[in-house]
This record gives sequence, structure tokens and C-alpha cells, in this order.
Amino acid sequence: MQSSLKPDKADAPVPAHLYGLDCSFLSSPLMLDVSSLKLTDRQLEKLFADNGDLQFEVTAKGDLVIMAPASSLGGRLEGKLFTRLDSWAEVDGTGLAFGPSSGFRMPDGSLKAPDVSWIPNDRWNALSEDEQKSFAPLCPDFVLELRSPGDTLASVQRKMEEYLENGARLGWLIDPINKRVHIYRPGETVVILDEPEAVSGDLVLPGFVLELQEIW
Amino acid sequence: MQPSVEVRENRNVENIPFLPTIDTGLPSPLLLDVSSLKLTDRQLEKLFADNSDLQFEVTAKGELVIMAPSGDPVSVKETELVRQVSNWAKVDSTGIAYGTSGGFRMPNGALFVPDVSWVNGERRDAWRQAQAALPEEARRSFPDLCPDFVLELRSPGDTLVSVQRKMQEYLENGARLGWLIDPINKRVHIYRPGEAVVILDDPETVSGDPELPGLELDLREIWST
Repeated sequence: MQSSLKPDKADAPVPAHLYGLDCSFLSSPLMLDVSSLKLTDRQLEKLFADNGDLQFEVTAKGDLVIMAPASSLGGRLEGKLFTRLDSWAEVDGTGLAFGPSSGFRMPDGSLKAPDVSWIPNDRWNALSEDEQKSFAPLCPDFVLELRSPGDTLASVQRKMEEYLENGARLGWLIDPINKRVHIYRPGETVVILDEPEAVSGDLVLPGFVLELQEIW
Repeated sequence: MQPSVEVRENRNVENIPFLPTIDTGLPSPLLLDVSSLKLTDRQLEKLFADNSDLQFEVTAKGELVIMAPSGDPVSVKETELVRQVSNWAKVDSTGIAYGTSGGFRMPNGALFVPDVSWVNGERRDAWRQAQAALPEEARRSFPDLCPDFVLELRSPGDTLVSVQRKMQEYLENGARLGWLIDPINKRVHIYRPGEAVVILDDPETVSGDPELPGLELDLREIWST
């Protein structure tokens, strides 16, 4: 019976549109409620290390947020943004810049990993070595999020508001889709710049000017 | 340089194409290695209940397999398959049929949820009696046995190879009969321990003899829905 069979369509998953439905992907981010497990930082660190092809955060409610890796272009842009801030921070000398995979334990209990962030030396040095090596229990003074094609604008805006509630003093949401930068400061209305050539770090990052032509 | 500051209402433009449409979703199934957590049956049960919009399995290596819920027509086909096997099992009365949410702890440690399965009544009774003798906290949530019969429906996200591997794993764990139903190629792959896999091309029916005597699975609706 087997001998006369034509070859099976065996090699790849059948694209959903050929099969008449579109449910074969999980949304990114995927929220997994793991609150019942009460995971410790050590357990989370191991979990993240064992699943290095994925990105994670934890919400204040205890949901594990599972994200697809950044797109190739998105990862390049994140790297570029970090490099710019880090070059400034090295010269400025009053604080440290952090890249996209640094996780911080926020005051509300959530574990977030901003795409780029900055912390003044005195706050960083006040942490124990263990805290620095695990998830530092603080919200960075400055956070930057790059909206990726899979993010709704509303979800990144909500995240920026959460950074402010946790103590961030300056937040930039960079939205390459609309070519806009949303600037968040505590107690102030959000300022939205339409296709700006550059943004200035003003009081929080004195002297830092981020050129944006290359991002657009 | 001071950029011009312009405050304006946010139009929340979602549809301006930035890049060609790219798939930013996660694969289904998604494998999450949770082996380091050594989750108990109770913890898994709670995890599954707290995330009832998703489907789960656990591999022998301890990876959590996270799957999107079945859409139409997959769930329609699954329901029809459960209906036929379950109707047969009622009349046959020598065992119990399980539907798409029946989880089993395999001898190799994997927690599998076959789309349809059947367990011999005496095996099930023996398992339940053994459980009843255990203290409450030692009882298993998921029967720790491999069903005698398992049926898997290949869904669009599955590679054929991945479902074939799973059928082999059922046999290694003690299944006596396995049917892989592949609506994409309109084929049924029949697995029996120690025998070559038999592949039927576009069959109208498939017979459960001798393991499930009298079961004639009608596939016409499965191929057409």
C-alpha cells in the first residue's frame, strides 16, 4: 500500500492560509499566568537561561511575559541606541547605560527589561553585588523603548506609564512606525515629537542628544 | 541642538506600513524549558487552570509545550473523532474513551494529551484502586499510564515529522494502537508495536480490529469539513 504513494507534505508546517485558518501562531507577547508558582529570582534566572531563544518579563500580577526574539533590524536599532547612550555615559561619568537584556525588579514587583536604560552611579553602587548580578531592585532613572512591529502603540504606552509609576524620571518611546518620539516625565503630559531630527536628554541626561535620522 | 517641540493629539496610527508584514508571533507549539522548576502535578494543574485559553503538554525532558487553542475546522474534526470513538466505547463497554483534554503521565515522564484516547477498563480500575490507597497528597492528577489506543489529528501548525515522532513515543510508552490522522495529505498512519507503520491513502473508514473490536472510524466528514 505504501509503495505507490506520492511524497507527503512533510517538511514544513502547512501555512495556515492554505488550510483555511489562522490560529497556528501564539501572540507575542504571550502572557502565561505563573503567579501560583511564586518563582524566586534564582528560578527565573535559570528559566531565562534555559530558554535563551526567547525574551521574558514578569508583570506586577505575576504573569510571565514571553516574547519572540527582536527582529534582525529591530535588534540592530536597539544596539545602535544603546551604543549612543553608552558613549555619552562613558564621557559623562555620572551613571551607567544598560542594554536590552538587562532585567530590573520594579517597586511594584514586576520584572522589566527596557530596550535601553541608564542609572546614576550612586544608585547602582548602593546595590549589593548579589543584587547587581541578579535583577537589580529598582527602576532606572531613564528608560527607552523602541516600538517593534508586533507591539501595539497602546501596549508600549502603558509600559511607559508603568515605568513612571515605578519612579523613572525620563522615558522615551521611539515609534519608527509613525516616526514619532513620545517623551514621558513624571507629573507632565506626554510630549510627542513628529519626525524629530534629534531628542535631547535635558535634565536627566545632561548633554545627551540622540540623533534619529538613521532610525527613521 | 534643541528639537522643535510639538504637542498634539496622538492619532495612534496603527496601519502605516513600516516594514513589509512580518510574522512577529511565537511558534505554536512553543517549547519552554521549565525542567529546572521540577513542577509537581498539582502545580501543573494550577498552571493549566490559570491559563485556560492555552493548551499544554510536557515533554519527557521537562519542557512545557504551549499551544494555541484549536480553531475551526480543527476543533470540529476533533469533536467528530471523539464522538465516534466515545460512542463505540459506550457500546463496547470494556474501557473508557477520553477527549481532547485528557492528560496522561507517560512512563518516560512526558505529560501527553492525545486528541482521542481509550484505556482498557481493567487497567483504569487498577490505577484508580492504587490511587485510592495512597494518601491524598500523593495521588496523581493525571493517570500515570499510556492509553492503549491514541489518536492524533495533525493540525496545520504541526510538521508531519513532529506528529510521527510523537506516535513513536506513544508506542515506546506502551500504546497498542495509534492512529495519526493527517487531513492535509488525507492519510491515516497506523502504528502498532513492533510493526511497520501502515499508511492508508484517502480511506473512507479505518478499522480498530483487533485492539478495538468493532470500531469502524468513518473519515468522510474528517476529509470534507
